[in-house]
Amino acid sequence: MQRLSGLAYPLAAVVGAVVLWYAIVIVFHVPKYILPLPGAVYQRIVEDWTFLMYHSGITLYETLGGFALSVILGIPIAIALVASRTLDRALMPWLILSQTFPKVALAPLIVVWFGLGLMPKLLITFLVAFFPIVISTVVGLRSAEREMLELAESMRATRLQMFWHFRIPLALPNIFAGLKVSVAFAVVGAVIAEWVGASAGLGYLLMRANANLDTTLLFAVLAALMVIGVVLYYAVEILERVSIPWHAVIRLADTATTA
Amino acid sequence: MAAAAISLKGASKTFGSDRNRVDALVDIDLDVGQAEFLAVVGASGCGKSTLLRLVAGLLAPTRGEVLIGGRRIDGPDPGIGIVFQTPVLLPWRTVRRNVELQLDIRGISTPSARQHVDELLNLVGLSGFGDRKPYELSGGMQQRVSICRALIHDPSLLLMDEPFGALDALTREQMNLELQRIWMETRKTVLFITHSITEAVMLGDRVVVITPRPGRIMEIVPVRLPRPRDFSALRVPEFHIACDRVRELMNAAGFTE
Repeated sequence: MQRLSGLAYPLAAVVGAVVLWYAIVIVFHVPKYILPLPGAVYQRIVEDWTFLMYHSGITLYETLGGFALSVILGIPIAIALVASRTLDRALMPWLILSQTFPKVALAPLIVVWFGLGLMPKLLITFLVAFFPIVISTVVGLRSAEREMLELAESMRATRLQMFWHFRIPLALPNIFAGLKVSVAFAVVGAVIAEWVGASAGLGYLLMRANANLDTTLLFAVLAALMVIGVVLYYAVEILERVSIPWHAVIRLADTATTA
Repeated sequence: MAAAAISLKGASKTFGSDRNRVDALVDIDLDVGQAEFLAVVGASGCGKSTLLRLVAGLLAPTRGEVLIGGRRIDGPDPGIGIVFQTPVLLPWRTVRRNVELQLDIRGISTPSARQHVDELLNLVGLSGFGDRKPYELSGGMQQRVSICRALIHDPSLLLMDEPFGALDALTREQMNLELQRIWMETRKTVLFITHSITEAVMLGDRVVVITPRPGRIMEIVPVRLPRPRDFSALRVPEFHIACDRVRELMNAAGFTE
């Protein structure tokens, strides 16, 4: 019953939005090249299914590659920052600067340096997606309570044991929060990378559809991007539930006692 | 004469410097005998937790020295086990694996040590709970697990930092009795920090009263009551005389409860 009502609300919202969409197009006589009808978009998706799937596959590949790069580099960078005060002082200002700086502006430069292959796309995606992982991992690694660290010290734990048995597992809830933000950013990164220079992918399709005023295709591509984003987000969430079941249980217990 | 289990010689600890300087402990001279149960009471922020951390080797004294079994320490001694105010259990490990954490970190892997886990869980009344997760246990049970973890490597010193401070009054009394029983069975030297006068007098062979800011030893009150002490034994006048003496000292030190 609870599951059903949990699904009912978002479904009702979607139905409401589609109805509103129809109403606006019909009432205000919006021309097709500004806002096509939802039915037309649906029809386009069905017609161009294999075509859309092909380009989605390419964008998904770039997204996952850039995201993997962000995880593989982001988590060790965070560990290094927490382990070494010198590294933290030397690198943190640069990391923050690299984020206040519009990464989109770097994209053309990366294309000039690395060409039009897969490599520059992974790099741009990485630049957009790795920061949330670094920040939330650093926060998580520093979140261990004082008594927990004193316990480890009293057992004469080595630095490696300190990270492996205490700090890293305790940081996992924060790391997963960072992964969820990062995976959503990675989709944005891949689209930006394709805007700058690509011959395939959903970002490339967006540019082409835009040039042709093919608004129906624009919407079809947006739908594909939305699906990719949502699926990746929930994939990370499922991975979180599987790898740190204790966290969900504690969260539930906490809300139960405070309620 | 055998060396004292714990010995502090002119130990002082200062935090910060210049204007922000806090003298947490000043000139502490204290000897704790083998298998003695020493209780330490004082107001919040009087430095009693700092005293425990000096003995644990988690903090280094600013002046003076700390000896365990006659040897000067400059870090956590291998022969200590600590119980903190919170159980600090790892939520992804079962009860048994939490107790074994101490063995894992210290690289002790003998089968007898693993078997010892069951005996200890039995000793604290948790047999059958080995495969549970910490969050399935009540606060009192969690703290028992942390006592097992502090004892599993068979340390000579058990250091306890207000271990029952977070428990409700009934559970706390229960835990006091159990701790006394565990201590009588294992004969460890116990350094027990608390802010409860009753708890200190009920458990301690001696009760050290510490003054707040700067933390100094004001007096050491001996408690000459037979063991095991249970709540009926505490109706005797000697218990109340000792309690009153400790309270008097704490009031004189400007401590308000």
